[in-house]
Amino acid sequence: MTEPKFDELIHPSTRLSIVALLAPADWIDFAFVRDHLKLSDSALSKQFATLEEAGYLKVERPVSDRRRRVRVRLTAAGRKAFDGHVAALREVLGAVDD
Amino acid sequence: MTEHIGANDARQALRAVEDERRRVIDEVDLPRWYWWGLAIAWILLGVATDVGNVWITSAATLLFGALHAAVASRLFSGRHKSSQLSVRASTVGRRLPLILFASILLLAAASIVVGFAVDADGAEHASTIAACFAATAILCGGPTLMASIRRRIA
Repeated sequence: MTEPKFDELIHPSTRLSIVALLAPADWIDFAFVRDHLKLSDSALSKQFATLEEAGYLKVERPVSDRRRRVRVRLTAAGRKAFDGHVAALREVLGAVDD
Repeated sequence: MTEHIGANDARQALRAVEDERRRVIDEVDLPRWYWWGLAIAWILLGVATDVGNVWITSAATLLFGALHAAVASRLFSGRHKSSQLSVRASTVGRRLPLILFASILLLAAASIVVGFAVDADGAEHASTIAACFAATAILCGGPTLMASIRRRIA
């Protein structure tokens, strides 16, 4: 059972979309996130930097690939924060329904 | 903090979370080349059977089984359709490979039944005809099966 915990860092819509997109995945390519959320490289990098600084996200550059690629994945802390945030949002709706 | 969030805000946020989850689930699939490869290999196996040489038929069946086992072990998780992302195992669930293997076995059984029926009808090249039936089922049914699995996951 995840403890509800509202997370102000995750809640802004762009960051919530990024984290929600990463949550059901092991990792996602930078380009996929950028194209899906229709953000510029710099805007997305800024959001990634904020999340990475908080320890929620890890940016990887696989060296095995010939092409230069950037992959991002949620860390265990990021996943826990996201689950807590979603639980907090559900709690708000639950409180309204009650 | 939660007392400062309105229900509409929470509802909207949860909807956004669900939309992103569905976007990732849309990537649960097998590559298109898998279905084409399987269909073509099935037809080749049918043709090899119709040639009537037991060695050719046995070798073709073994080759087909070995190649398919190698490919399926990498693809049947359904998590790596594209090279742009890897879907989490917990998102897909553990039943997908079982469903896919069961479908292939069912199709093999149906293909054999069709082969015998066509042969009993006196047609030549019964195995090739049955294989064409299976190939059509693979190309039409494979993507449809995956779409239905995605709907269940979502």
